Amino acid sequence: MLAFAARRLLVSLGLVWVVASLVFLVIHLIPGDPAELLLSQGGIAPDPAAVEELRERLGLNEPLWTQYLTYMGGLLRGDFGLSLQDEHPIAEEIALRLPRTLELVGMAGLLSVIFGVPLGIAAAMRAGGALDRILSAWAGFALSVPVFVVGTLAVLVLAQQLKLVSAGGYVPLARDPGRHLALLMMPAATIAVGLGAVVFRVMRSSVLEVLEREHVRAAQARGLAPAAIIRRHVLRNALTPVVTVVALHLGSLLGGTVLVEFVFNWPGLSGYLVRAVEARDYPEVLGIVLVISTLFVLLNFLVDLLYAVIDPRVRHG
Amino acid sequence: MRRSSIRALAVPGVLVLLVVLVALAAPILPLADPVRQDVANRLSGPSAGHWLGQDEYGRDVLSRIIWGARVSLTVAAVAAALAAIVGTLLGILGGYFRGLVELVTVRVAEIVLCFPPLLLALLVVTLLGPGAGTLVFSLAILFAPGFARVAYAETLSARALDYVTAQQALGARTRRILFLTLLPNIAPPLIVQFSLTVAAAMVLESGLSFLGLGVVPPSPSWGLMIRGARASMEQAPLLLFWPCLALTGTVLVLNLLCDRLRDVLDPRGKAAGRPGFLGRLIALPPAPAPRQAPGLLTVDGLTLSVPGPKGPIEVVRDVGFTLAPGETLAIVGESGSGKTLTGLTVMGLLPAAVKPVAGSILFTGRDGRVRDLLRLPEPEMRSLRGRDLAMIFQDPSSSLNPLLRIGSQLAETLRAHGVRNGVRDRVIGLLRQVGLPDPERAADAYPHEISGGQRQRVMIAAAIANGPRLLLADEPTTALDVTVQAQILALLADLKRAEGGMGMAFVTHNLAVVGEIADRVLVMYAGEVVEEGPVADVFAAPRHPYTAALIASMPEGDAERLTAIPGAVPQPWAMPAGCRFAPRCTLAAEACRATAPALTEVAPGRSSRCLRWKEVA
Repeated sequence: MLAFAARRLLVSLGLVWVVASLVFLVIHLIPGDPAELLLSQGGIAPDPAAVEELRERLGLNEPLWTQYLTYMGGLLRGDFGLSLQDEHPIAEEIALRLPRTLELVGMAGLLSVIFGVPLGIAAAMRAGGALDRILSAWAGFALSVPVFVVGTLAVLVLAQQLKLVSAGGYVPLARDPGRHLALLMMPAATIAVGLGAVVFRVMRSSVLEVLEREHVRAAQARGLAPAAIIRRHVLRNALTPVVTVVALHLGSLLGGTVLVEFVFNWPGLSGYLVRAVEARDYPEVLGIVLVISTLFVLLNFLVDLLYAVIDPRVRHG
Repeated sequence: MRRSSIRALAVPGVLVLLVVLVALAAPILPLADPVRQDVANRLSGPSAGHWLGQDEYGRDVLSRIIWGARVSLTVAAVAAALAAIVGTLLGILGGYFRGLVELVTVRVAEIVLCFPPLLLALLVVTLLGPGAGTLVFSLAILFAPGFARVAYAETLSARALDYVTAQQALGARTRRILFLTLLPNIAPPLIVQFSLTVAAAMVLESGLSFLGLGVVPPSPSWGLMIRGARASMEQAPLLLFWPCLALTGTVLVLNLLCDRLRDVLDPRGKAAGRPGFLGRLIALPPAPAPRQAPGLLTVDGLTLSVPGPKGPIEVVRDVGFTLAPGETLAIVGESGSGKTLTGLTVMGLLPAAVKPVAGSILFTGRDGRVRDLLRLPEPEMRSLRGRDLAMIFQDPSSSLNPLLRIGSQLAETLRAHGVRNGVRDRVIGLLRQVGLPDPERAADAYPHEISGGQRQRVMIAAAIANGPRLLLADEPTTALDVTVQAQILALLADLKRAEGGMGMAFVTHNLAVVGEIADRVLVMYAGEVVEEGPVADVFAAPRHPYTAALIASMPEGDAERLTAIPGAVPQPWAMPAGCRFAPRCTLAAEACRATAPALTEVAPGRSSRCLRWKEVA
């Protein structure tokens, strides 16, 4: 098990290096000069002197491999460079905002699993029955509502009309834990509407598929009670695809909470990204992309470990 | 296309068509100018001139919704079409040529899938600046790999098919094969992918517009309308409601159409029916109390049916046999003869689609009581399973749960029938009894850590764990190597000697095995018993042409040359009116085709379902 984890970790670290190099290449190999692009707001050609000054400041006039070494060296020290807009260290801003996004994504995933898994099992148990039909229809609907529509309507109904919750915002955990959680729940639940429907669907079809397997019939032939069959021979086997799907979605949520953070004024990483994109602040955009992609790789590493815990065959594979 | 498919597609199809038509008709509908401002009447409610009211600049909401549909649908459809063309091309090339081409097409496209989609779209917007063109471009990049994957997978499976290889052999040009032969055959999943992509593209487009990074104002777009209405949420909540409704409704009908399309075009993925074991496994209505049954197991008049397109089909008809304690009965037949279904009926483990419609299965349990297994309620049936009745299945590698240790799967069998103390010791004892070399280690092993033959030994250990009266073995050696087969057969014979009084029903298609292990043999053909008798007698002098033909086709037989049986088992829905074997029978006469022969006793303890049994050599 330990050897397996070490092997996977090495592969993951290699992937992180590849991602970092790719990000470096994207900034330098795309057609067009980043400095020129940054300065040409609104289609007006920028002043050549200003472009030259910016190129010098960003180190773009150095040979490519020197730039690469400087860049990688910076990354190793946790240095992502300075923002072009306010010269603020990018790493500091990311370190401040990343935990908030992770917290949001984690809570959304937790809510989705808490609701999606048991309901998926319940629906599969009575496939074709009334409960299954209602839940499946609901899931089809929940999957069709864009997340920012859910969020906006939630704000409209729950906050504006009924005045049950506040419309959004952020309070640090240390200052007021209760209020912090309350403010977290709205965006997290908004994401969980769609994600929970995904988890529900995958869990349902996975349970149905495992129920058809030979070993379930063999367990039945040994006289096991239905509850024991479900617990020991269906659930664990059915969980693997759910782990994959949840991990994939959490991964894309790392960069995909943009809309929800925007709706609820949640000051996470995505809001920072939108601001960076609007201002075309290259160092910022690339720093954020790098962090998110790295997290994506690490998430896959964790999923691999989780597989190994669920399925003994993986450990030896 | 079948009528039911058309009906399934009708509702979502018509709705999608309606949305598209309204969007197309926007220029000719009597609508207000969607961008003309009327600030004096901003945020005013519905009126005769403005059915859905006016927005924060006094623009007509209905007009903006309909014109917005045009923008959203155009961006989504163009992006999806671009993605489909590029992705399909990459996928087909990669799947057809493989090798280096695959690397530079499919694998490169898949890099895109490694990034969170919205993040990637934002990256493209950073590079190109917001606008409808950027939107189409970034959405096309995002969705092309999906098409590449589907086209690649479908091409891989289609290129090996006969019609493609035939064209290659005929020397057709590659371009012709790819686009005239291959493409139409892989189209259905691509059509599903396309409708899925249009819906997804719409959601992303509106999301980016909502952030202000998509469609540029003042062009009407649903995402932009929601963005605008958020500001005046308190004064005019309805303003927020309309674009939300339009967007959600359109995505919903698109998704619905996509689900239905998938069911119609790609039936493989369609959800399976209700699983068999949760309700009861079908018990027949109660019948008069069973009389004293001869022997251990008496099956009488068993008939099973499955629903077919033209009414129920009888897959097993009027099957009967008896099994005495300590006896081994071999049930022999080709695939589709109903031998496995008969075994599963005794265990009460029939798939949900198969229903017993008549007959009785009288079984004498360890307590001496006679029960009709076809009429036993599920809880009682369950207490018999794994205790009085045990079954070994064909494939030991799929019969064990791969995620649980072997010892734990044996222990649960003991616990399910009330064993509480010394479970571990009994598990080790059972594993030793079935001849596993290192029982302690085997108990802690996972199923994938031992060999196929050892896995079947574990299955046998589980079957005999609670000292069954009747052991059903469904082709227990078919999935194993020949040398291992002999060992497993020897083990079963040993166990039966040790467990005096245990009866065994051995389902097989292998006559050589029958000779080794069975006392009596039951030959089944097309759902019916055609011959029954002691193994030695039946082998020496078969009384049914089918049995005779089976024996003649045995490689181990003394015949000078092997004889294959011409033809195949008739399909259950197309059974001949007379004798079911007549179409393949060398002895068949007019009478055989006219009337179905009954099972008749031809000698004491022997019966045959043949009109001309006396003439069978």
